[in-house]
Amino acid sequence: MTAHESQVGSVLTEINDMINMIIEKYGSPPVQVTMDTLFHSDLELESIDLVTLGVMLAAHYGDEVSMAEFLAEKDLGEVIALRVGELVDYVVSRLDLTAPVD
Amino acid sequence: MPTIHVNDTDIHYLHMRGRASEGPAPTLVCIHGLGTDSLASFYLTLAAPLAAAGVDMVFYDLRGHGNSTRPARGYRVADFVADLDGLLTALGVTSPVHLVGNSFGGTVAFGFAAKHPGRTASLVAIESEPPTEAWAKRVGELLTETKQELSRDETYQLISAQFGDHHARLSRQAYRRLEETTMAEEIPSGPMLDLVDLSRITIPVLSIVGSDGFQADDPYLLEGVLPNCRTVVIQDQDHSVLVEAHRQVRDLLLDWIFLRPLAAARRDLA
Repeated sequence: MTAHESQVGSVLTEINDMINMIIEKYGSPPVQVTMDTLFHSDLELESIDLVTLGVMLAAHYGDEVSMAEFLAEKDLGEVIALRVGELVDYVVSRLDLTAPVD
Repeated sequence: MPTIHVNDTDIHYLHMRGRASEGPAPTLVCIHGLGTDSLASFYLTLAAPLAAAGVDMVFYDLRGHGNSTRPARGYRVADFVADLDGLLTALGVTSPVHLVGNSFGGTVAFGFAAKHPGRTASLVAIESEPPTEAWAKRVGELLTETKQELSRDETYQLISAQFGDHHARLSRQAYRRLEETTMAEEIPSGPMLDLVDLSRITIPVLSIVGSDGFQADDPYLLEGVLPNCRTVVIQDQDHSVLVEAHRQVRDLLLDWIFLRPLAAARRDLA
């Protein structure tokens, strides 16, 4: 496994934990998401839940990871069709930018 | 999730600071619409570009919506205005703010501007009208009709077939809000503004409407009753201007707040 694949796996796990914290308030059982899981159709999360997830991401990774920035250029259809993997890739790309250079 | 307790309601909000700029940053307060709406519609479309431009922003969920609590009653326009007053006071926002409201959110903004003229710098109303008797009559009928429609299972089958399961689910949530609260009865019931009240709203007002939206019959109506109002009609858009044309709305807001000519408007109207 490359360092990048390892980081993707780690971010996916962290985002999975955050999603479970959000759906817990709806009384839903914990889920195991994949990169292809759809936020709206599969998880039945709404836009307001994406905002909550964005607050959790910024608290965990810092303000460089901004859900608002990630979604600002997307149209409604793209937000509705959003995959977990798209968000994971965005977070990893932001972490790559902020990582110290050896 | 940050919340502030005002008027016996926990209001969910996000206070986002603009990137540092010279001088005091303007503050924009975003007020969403009724039903399936929440702070997300503004946050996900405007937060990043406006913060990058140096604008401080307050986003919040109206009572009964999003992640704010849902009291069984207390849904007159005046209640929503009091919530906004309480929220800004609690956040320590004392300078006059720019208000932007989508649909019912704009109605709340007009109510706030009428009650607190010294606390409002300007107002942007998206597909929105002030709380007048004429508005209350139309909204009252619309809410009653919507409540009846959403009480029938066939409605959700139609919504699902036409717009997808996502919209059907949101509509069920909207129906629960109407069923479990006095929203439909109280929103059109409170004291409304008359023409004299409107003539006293002297702050600059920008009315953004879709050419096929709720004000399609008379898009320039507000210019006739407000002393300092201008209108931008976005072509080929209906009531969903904020979401469907968010880039144009964003450009208009940036020009408006920073007192630039409304370049986006000239392009759209050409």
